[in-house]
This record gives sequence, C-alpha cells and structure tokens, in this order.
Amino acid sequence: MSRAVGPDAGLLDVLTVTMERAVGRCSYGDARRVVTGCEHVATRNGRVERIDLDEADGIGVRVRVGGAWGFAATSDPSAPAAERALERALDFAAEQPRTPERPLAPAPPARGAWLGPCERDPFGIGAEEKLDLLLAAEAGLAGDPRIVHTQARCLSVRTAKGFASTEGAACTQTVVESGASIAAVAVDGSELQQRSYPGQHDGGVAAAGWEHVESLELAAHAPRVAEEALGLLDAPPCPSGVTTVVLDAEQLALQLHESIGHALELDRMLGAEASYAGTSWVSPADLGRLRYGSERVNVTADATLPGGLGSFGWDDEGIAARSLELIRDGRLLAALSSRESAAAIGLDASGGCARADGHARQPIVRMTNVSLEPGDAGSLEDLVADTDEGLYLETNRSWSIDDRRLQFQFATEVGREIRGGQLGRLYRNPSYAGVTPRFWASLDAVCSPAEWRLWGLVNCGKGEPGQVAHVSHGTAPARFRGVQVGVA
Amino acid sequence: MKLAELAERALERTRGQAQVTVTRERSQLARFAGSRPTQATEVDELRVEVVAVRDGATAAAATSKVDNDGLREVGDRAARAAQAAARAGGGAYPGLPAPSERPRAHEGWDPATARLEPSRPGAALAAVFEQASTRRVDAAGVWTAGAVETALASSTGLHAADATTDAHLKVLCRDGSGRSGFAAATATSCDAIDPAAVARAAADKTAAGEPAQLALGEHPAVLDADAVGSLLEFLAALALNGLAHAEGRGALCGRLGKLVASPAVNLSDSPRYPGTLPRAIDAEGVGKSPLALIQDGVAHRVVHDTRSAAIAGGDARSTGHALAPGGAPRGPRPTNLVLVGGGAADVAALAGGIERGIYVTRLWYVNTVHAKQTLLTGMTRDGTFLIEDGRITRPLRDLRFTDSVLGLLERVEGLTAQPRLTSEAEFYGPRFATGVVCPAVRVGALRITGTTA
Repeated sequence: MSRAVGPDAGLLDVLTVTMERAVGRCSYGDARRVVTGCEHVATRNGRVERIDLDEADGIGVRVRVGGAWGFAATSDPSAPAAERALERALDFAAEQPRTPERPLAPAPPARGAWLGPCERDPFGIGAEEKLDLLLAAEAGLAGDPRIVHTQARCLSVRTAKGFASTEGAACTQTVVESGASIAAVAVDGSELQQRSYPGQHDGGVAAAGWEHVESLELAAHAPRVAEEALGLLDAPPCPSGVTTVVLDAEQLALQLHESIGHALELDRMLGAEASYAGTSWVSPADLGRLRYGSERVNVTADATLPGGLGSFGWDDEGIAARSLELIRDGRLLAALSSRESAAAIGLDASGGCARADGHARQPIVRMTNVSLEPGDAGSLEDLVADTDEGLYLETNRSWSIDDRRLQFQFATEVGREIRGGQLGRLYRNPSYAGVTPRFWASLDAVCSPAEWRLWGLVNCGKGEPGQVAHVSHGTAPARFRGVQVGVA
Repeated sequence: MKLAELAERALERTRGQAQVTVTRERSQLARFAGSRPTQATEVDELRVEVVAVRDGATAAAATSKVDNDGLREVGDRAARAAQAAARAGGGAYPGLPAPSERPRAHEGWDPATARLEPSRPGAALAAVFEQASTRRVDAAGVWTAGAVETALASSTGLHAADATTDAHLKVLCRDGSGRSGFAAATATSCDAIDPAAVARAAADKTAAGEPAQLALGEHPAVLDADAVGSLLEFLAALALNGLAHAEGRGALCGRLGKLVASPAVNLSDSPRYPGTLPRAIDAEGVGKSPLALIQDGVAHRVVHDTRSAAIAGGDARSTGHALAPGGAPRGPRPTNLVLVGGGAADVAALAGGIERGIYVTRLWYVNTVHAKQTLLTGMTRDGTFLIEDGRITRPLRDLRFTDSVLGLLERVEGLTAQPRLTSEAEFYGPRFATGVVCPAVRVGALRITGTTA
C-alpha cells in the first residue's frame, strides 16, 4: 500500500525559492522537479540485446501572464538554472498574442509527501538476475525453425517529483513501476504471427516492485506462447460478418482506453487537442445526460488504486488523488479534467487529471486509472458457456480510432471460435470494428470481480510536443452483441 | 563548453569499448486552439549517453549531470551493465564502427532559427489568427522550431558531430459546422515558412456543405503529399528495416531485385536532397550517403545499422541508419526518404483522370495490421473530398482505409511533379526532426473499410 512520508526537501528547495520569485510577476505559476531512473533490460533471440539505464533530473517552470501560458524546462536542477527557466517562461508567455485571462478551478495548496507501493526495489536487483529470468523465459519460446524472433524484456522506473506553486503548494511523491513481457514471432512464407504475454504494449507493467515481475511467471507461459504463435500460422483466417464477441480483459482495456478514456478528456471536448490527438464526439453539454452505453457500462477514474500506473498522491497541478465516477448504468456523469478545463465549463474543482511526461513537458489532461467495473457474469468459462455462437478475441495486435473517438478498428493476436458454449478452433488475423456508442450499447455481460484486474499501458501518446503517459485500466472479460468482425 | 570537448571528457572516464554521445536540444513550441494561444513550451536540455560494449552485449547509460562526478558515474554504470550482460552470455553486436571518411557537410543549420527568439512564435500565431478571422474559421495548430547539436566520441577513434535546425507550422481551420481543413509546412529555417500562407491553405480545405457518402470498397484516390509521407514512414519500418529483414520478418524478404511497385516509383534515402531535413551522421557516427531503395519499382536494398548488418551477414555493411548506438530495439530506419515526383502539374491534374474517387489530405492513427504484408489501417482527416468527373467537388465524411502500402505503390498511376517535405513533427522524447519528401500520388484503388458516423 502507498503511505505518507515526509516531504523530500532536496526536491523542493529550489522550487519553492523559484516560486517566491514568481509571485507578483504572473497570475499563477508552478514549478516541478522530476528525477527519473529508468532501466530497460532486453534479450532477443536467446542472447542479451541491450541494457538501458536512463537517468534524468530537471525542472519545468510554468507561468500565466496576461491569459497566456509560458513554460520553460531545463535539465540543470540548480537554483540559477531554475531562475533562468522562470525568466524564459515569463518572456515566452509575454510574447504570446493577447488572450483573455481564464480562471483556474480553485484548489487547496498541496502539502506533504506520498510514496507509491513497492515491496522489492527493482533497482536493487542485479542485472544478472534480470537477464537470467529473461533468458530462461526466452528458452521456452525457441525450438521450432518457424519461430524467427523471440524477445523478453523487463522495465523498472522510479520517478520522484517535487511540486511548488505561487499559491503555496509544496509536495513530493515517489512511485516505482515494474513490468516484463515475452513475445514470439512465427513466419511461414508471407504469413507472420506473433504471440505475446502478458500482452502487447508491455502489458505487464504495474506501479509495484520486482515482486510484480516475479508474479508474471514468464518462463511458465513461454511454451504456450510459442505453441500458439505456430498454431496461428496454420489457422484459417477470421471469417467476416456480424457476430457476438467476447473480448479478453487485455483487449478490453485498450478498447476502454481508446473509446471511453480519451473521449472523456475535457481538453479534447473543448478543442484544445484539435491540432493533434483530436477532439471528442462527446461535448460538455452531454455531461449528466448522454447515454454512453448499456446499463452494464460502469466506468470509474480512480487515481487511488494500488498498483495502478495512473495512481499518485497529487496530479501535476497539485490536486489530490481521487476516485471519480464517469459513467453509471450507461449514463455519462463526468469528464477527466484539469484546473483550466474544469473552470472552463463551470466546475468548482479539477478532476485531478493533469499530468506531464517528465520535467520538460507541461501538464495536460490525462487518464488516471479508467476502469470498467466488474459485472456478475461469473468467470470467463461461465461467460463462454453462456454464449451460443461467436468469437473470443485475445491480446491486442493493432488499434486505430478516428480523431473524435467514434469509428474504431482493432485486431487481436488470437481469435477462437465459440460454438455451443465452448471454445473451438483458432482463427488468425482476427479483427473487429465499430462506432463507440453503438458498440458500448451492445455490451450485455461483464465477468465478475474475480476476473477483474489492472492492465498497464505505457505508450499512451498525446500533446505537442509529444508526451507519453503510463496508465492502467481495470477490466474483466466482457461480451458484445452484433459486432462486425473480419474487417481487415 | 563545446559539446565535442564534453564528449571527449566523458570518453576519458569510460573503460573498454565505449561511445559517448552528447546532445543539446533547444526548442520552442507554441500551441493554439480556438484562435488563441494555449501553450508555449521552451526546452533547453543537455544529455550525455555512454554505450559500453562487452562480448557483443551493449549497455547504455544516460545522464544530465555533466560535472566530472556525473560523467564518471554514467561511464561506470554503462560499464558495469555491459559486464553483467557479458557474463550472461554476451550478445550479437559486432562492435562500434571505426572512423571512416569524414561525413559530408550539409546546409541544415540556420543560425537565425537557432537563436530561438521568443517573439517569433508569437508573430507567427498572430498571422495565423488574422487569416482565420478573415475567413471566419477557428484556427488550431502548432508552431515549433528547434536547434539540436550532437557530438560523438568513441574508443575506436571515431569523432563526429552534427547540428540541425528545424521549423514546423501546422494549422487546422474549423468552420461552424465542425468541418476542418489542414495545411502544414516544415523546413530547416523559420524564414522558409509563411504562416499566413499555411493558414490560407488550411482554410481552403474547410469546404462547406453536407458531407457526401461513399460506399465501402475500393475507389480510385488521390493521396496528397502528407498522406503519402505517412504511408512511406510505415514502409520504412516494415519493409526497409534491415533488422526485420535479416530476421525474416521484413516485407521485402525474398523480394529484393524484384518488381514490388509501379515502375513510376523511385524511392531513396537522400540525406542532403533539396528541401529535406539534412543529416550528416547516424547515431553511431557513420556518415550518411544517398541510397536508392526502390528504383523504377524494383526493390534494391534495405537499410542497416552496424548490428543488423552483422546479423544479415555476407557483404552487408552499415548504411548509416542507426537510430541508437549499438542498434535501436526496432532496428535501423531511413530518416530522409525521398519519393521522386512524376509528370502531373498538381493534385487537380491527378484527379483529372478519375470519374468517381477520393481526395485525401492527410491520414490519422495509422497502425499496422499485418507487418509482413505492409497491411495498415487508419483514418482520413481534415480534408477528405469526393472526386467526380475528374474534379475535386464535395466534402466526404472521414474514411477508414485498410490497405497494403506495397499494394498501393503497385497501383500508383501518377505523381505530381514537385515533391515537398512532409513531417508529423510529433517530438516524443528528445527532439529528432525527420520528414519525407514526396509528391501527391494517384492510386488506382484505395480500400475503404469504414466511415465516421
């Protein structure tokens, strides 16, 4: 569990002095220091591929002058460099075209410290131990000459942040993330098939220590992963048509991410992301009114979930972590917001969703842990047994959605026939497509809490300059009726 | 301190085979939406990376601490990790490249752009807003400029440096009905970009009127340069990547020397082509040279870094396309693709031969469906129009395509005469500006598999 600790003065000292100097020169200012250690260890085709040890330490200063934002980042965390960053931010804001000052939603100044969960520090594990684990897992993938590529990798991240503002905020927090994955690629002529575990997108990452990597049991899953990659080479292609689809929890996590999470970002609704990530088919006027999906659709954004990559003590505007009901019984209740976007639609508080990618990017609206609450359909086996005919789709392979988050198309690594309540033959290259509200309206069953777990995504891109966010989604397998499949 | 001196200082603190890369990024980015500024970001970052090699295994350590202690510590971390990797059996990396002939200079550094005056983005935004106001549309977009300097020093005796500037303006104009139009410009110099002209071009794409419907299936299409550039970026990763090719995963496996595209397709990686974002060296300090990839529709070669060349064996050598010293996880990639233009005067001329088809301004959220078949899916965005009786006429709802890049290149029927630089300018992580120089093309068929609601 996360726990409270004392603020790290080393992270805060320069920030608080910088903000004292900003008072009176801008209508609002904040400063963040972010110290990151990131370790990637990778093996490939049975040999060590690479070890990457990246450390970064820098400060980002954000100010508001005459209604315009200015932000400056430096990789030098010293006091003189922070002061120069403040001056640059003030100059840059002052040079922007004049625009009316817009309010920020009020917030009490964040104070204190927060530490995320970590039982076994992954940075205390030697490189040899990590490589042994990965090479042992890879050994279970190899053997058949049609397996042309295997890989295993693990990721460890420690992020320590300090935050101070002209409103008196001064807080620090530290989070550790760990994860690992394996994959095998099988080729036969022009056919190529990949199987991954625990999922694509480094899907085995959590806000936890090395204990999480050990719990994945990579080596135990490797033979199955290789066998399924080979099996897919000879499997028939996914048939085209309209049918019932059961999505595994990993694919459902990405479906949720793309068609609900991003669509409910308030900055997108307000047009602030129009130039890159896009807008949303949902408007602020829909809050409290719009039917987003069936009554089985219950979605929560919870930044307090232990193990979630979207969990924190405070967001990067100093808003304390909270749980927010987004959709209840299919009806839209709330959006993901920052102080600026919340105030723009008249909310009296931010949703606490402003996050930045490191010190050199400024906070934008980001998902926390956006999850589909479990239902009462029992286990996956129960759900399949309750399904006469359809497809079970497992492990994301490809994803794409339009810039309003309406029309989407996904492909998974594996499709399995469901017939008479049982899983049948494999299909290769399965895909499905839909339109967001119609798709979620077709949800008629979600598995029970025992099947529900968090899935980490560490490649969520948004913003300019580009920012990568780490988020988690809680999901259990679920069933959708009348889905167009075999579209690719 | 000069970057080359810093690289040398860091190299002195390494042990065994090692490469030091020092990178300084200074950049500005001003973002806008609803015809008002929304974000102004200025970055000044200095980064030192040490790659150590032991028994074919590579380990990299990076830091922003550039005092003597920081440099010693980053070298030690890389060395310790590489030794651990060697004890675990080592890897397939053949070793850092030796010095070769001096890389050719380029003209990709503009001192005026490198000054990054804070007044310049503000003036650009004001010009865009004025045009948007005149056309009664809202403008969203981004203006950005950067100056990136790199210095390399290696225990093999290799010393190299590069310096590039880049500038980019993207404008999306949106009318009252929500229709949006896009235009963008990318160059090595801010002075080469006319903000008002870009804004006018974006506003021209916001055609009024109810969007027409189009049946799913195959349709003739004119893909404007930005759409072509996006597709070629994927071709680079899936087909021209020497690591994927050597591992049997590449889309050109067994197809080199064969006709893979229309004879009108001539694709190269040309780091000093007029209008590109030039580069002198790759991430291992290997000098960049022009490289023909597809000539008259025949696939000639893939690109390599030192690692992929070693895995490929035979006479394969690094072609100067490393994205990271020691080899990036996804392999090497062309950074300066150039698709040679054809004989059509403009997109209107390309549309001239189409009875009923599609004009696509740009693509969005393109992703791989089947790597070996270069099968992609994605959406059109910000300017999709119907072509009727040889003319671009009415707006269309945005469309989903699912098609093979190599298949589309086989179906090329015409290209505009003047290629231009296209770029996504996304800038995730350290700034590394790349783009594709390409013309608009007409394809005999584009497979449409969906449409927006």
